[in-house]
Amino acid sequence: MVGTPVLFIAIPLMAAFLIPLLGMIWKELVRIVPGLVLTYLLILAINLLNHVLVHGPIVEVIAGWVPPIGINLVFNAFSGFLVTLMIFLGLLVWVYSYRFKRNVDYEPALKYFLMLMMLITGSVGIVLTGDIFNMFVFIEITSISAYGLTAFYKGRNSAEASFKYVMMGSIASTFLLLAIMIIYAQLGTLNMADIASKIHLMDPKLKIVSYIFFVVALGIEAEIFPLNGWAPDAYAEAPGPVGAAFAGIVVKAAVYAIIRYTYTIFDLSGSFSFLILIGMITLIIAETAAIRQEKLKRMLAYSSIGQMGLVLVAFGFGTKEGVFAALFLMLNHAIIKSLLFFSGSYLTYNSTEKKISEVNGMSKYLPITSLLFALGAFAIVGLPPFAGFWSKLAVLTAAADSNMILIMVLVLMVSVVELVYYLRVVNRVYFFKKEAAVKPQKPTFNGLIVMLVLGAIILLIGFYPDAVTGMLHKATNSLMDKGQYIQNVLSLK
Amino acid sequence: MKKVLVILLLATMGYYIAGSYFDIGFGQPHFVQGVKPVKDIYLAKTVKPLTVSNAVTSIVVNFRGFDTLGEVTVLFLAVTVLGSLLYKKRHAVGERSVLFSASSIVTSGSKLLFPAIILLGAYVFIHGHLSPGGGFQGGVIIASGFLLMLLAYENYSVSHTALSVVESLAGITFAGVGLLGFMHGGTFLQNFLPVGVLNNLFSGGVIPIIYIAVGFKVGAELTGVIYTVLHEKGQSNG
Repeated sequence: MVGTPVLFIAIPLMAAFLIPLLGMIWKELVRIVPGLVLTYLLILAINLLNHVLVHGPIVEVIAGWVPPIGINLVFNAFSGFLVTLMIFLGLLVWVYSYRFKRNVDYEPALKYFLMLMMLITGSVGIVLTGDIFNMFVFIEITSISAYGLTAFYKGRNSAEASFKYVMMGSIASTFLLLAIMIIYAQLGTLNMADIASKIHLMDPKLKIVSYIFFVVALGIEAEIFPLNGWAPDAYAEAPGPVGAAFAGIVVKAAVYAIIRYTYTIFDLSGSFSFLILIGMITLIIAETAAIRQEKLKRMLAYSSIGQMGLVLVAFGFGTKEGVFAALFLMLNHAIIKSLLFFSGSYLTYNSTEKKISEVNGMSKYLPITSLLFALGAFAIVGLPPFAGFWSKLAVLTAAADSNMILIMVLVLMVSVVELVYYLRVVNRVYFFKKEAAVKPQKPTFNGLIVMLVLGAIILLIGFYPDAVTGMLHKATNSLMDKGQYIQNVLSLK
Repeated sequence: MKKVLVILLLATMGYYIAGSYFDIGFGQPHFVQGVKPVKDIYLAKTVKPLTVSNAVTSIVVNFRGFDTLGEVTVLFLAVTVLGSLLYKKRHAVGERSVLFSASSIVTSGSKLLFPAIILLGAYVFIHGHLSPGGGFQGGVIIASGFLLMLLAYENYSVSHTALSVVESLAGITFAGVGLLGFMHGGTFLQNFLPVGVLNNLFSGGVIPIIYIAVGFKVGAELTGVIYTVLHEKGQSNG
């Protein structure tokens, strides 16, 4: 073993406190250090994931107190897979935005990189922790960095978007605390595994109230339908790479939390159908809203919300196939949506309105970026032979296995809607005449590298899905085996 | 009509939610029969092996020290975000958004009070493991001392660099003590110093060190917040 899970939190926090000091020595360090930290964490994550896939989960105790007394971190196949994915994306976001704000003042750059690193750390913490109050703390870290990043471009619109996000986020925190309070007042413990083993003792009425509070609170972060009013604005107003970080990292962490509560902690019988219901509503509303958007980033944001709805539907099947499909979808969505955000922000780089009509004819000026955007669009819609095809196929087979034909039909119908609005943009990029007013912006070298890497991964998964399915199956098994999780954590002495 | 419906819906929901909270019965033994709440373990272990007289401190800094590290980071981030939001609007050093002159009673009085406030703040966080209070409370008291000085003197200024150095060093101390515990004891934030005798100033192992670091950090951060907000350029004169 090369390290332990606590380093995923301790090292970035240490670096965050150090960066202001390092910046006084040499200003470039502010940009370099987060990258070094993320690179180290990626190596650590891959090593630990390999270890875990062979030897079983690692449960790390903090401050020397075994669960349920102290806080613990759990690195198993499921959380390890998500952590690796998040840190990988975080590193790509860092590479993409390395030269970001290069020519402006030093202080905004310092704050940007600090907030970005904390956004990633908070999300990783949400996934790793085995304690419900600790998860609350990490959700706070994530959301406060997210508010700051949303309002990074100081203007009327971004301030409004950030304010909306702050209001919803604060309500989410309140609900989360209320839910935690009910659980503690009943069971006298905050440890997830301990709660899971005692949840049957709880008063059913209080159990339902606390589950609903958890879902409401996490649903705000996970962009579930009635709670996602902040999302399109935040995506549209935040800097381009931050949109990718939101879609790829923050939302994934929130979905993880909902799944952890539904699958492991609570034992409510109707919760799976509830997930299908809210997922389906989110999917349909978001995709139909996406088709009416005029701004590119808002369209991508609604598409991202819709995909999260589909992930929840797949988790709601409650079967192994369903969980596998959901995980595959999460992986694909993280990679493809990041590519779309990265390339999309270059397609509309110099326009003030960021309208879809302004991407007309960009393929002549930005051939590689346009090609990659088209690749992302085809992949996310689910056209073979790209990555998205396999995950959509997995969702449909899982639905068929659970005899949910209506869900299958609805998902296919929504996919057609998705196809329409993505192909509309691709059509504009390739076959329309460029508007004279819009000046194309060549991507930076870093940006190009990141987009090419993501494109290559999409093709790799598309042509050779077995590269990831083995790991996804192991992650699925580790999520489904609730008894094993409880035993791993509580057997520590 | 729509508003009435919304209010009715909220009232119904509020009634049932409040009802479920009343059912818990705070203040009485409210835990489900047969569970062993962690609070009893915390209380028992605070005296031995931790050797700390203040149970709140032992929970905040040791049993749930990881949460506290997170909360300290939340504060640090909040200050960072505030600085980033108000960055463009900041004045040159020395200028204020609120300009008024304090009377001589306030100026001379605050000169007298300032050292006492700082001393009280330091006392509160140094004795965090012995008496009520701790790093967060002590830090807030110190920041209130700086607020008094900033209000009393128009040209009183705090070095931004110094604040950020103190903040960073305190944060590094917290995370560094955690990592040292990791190296010596095998788990993050574990105590690796001798625990001493109960009720002595030097007792509780790493707990006082962490709380002193938290005190410095909170003090520096809140002073920074006050300073940033005081020097925000208003809409009217900007």
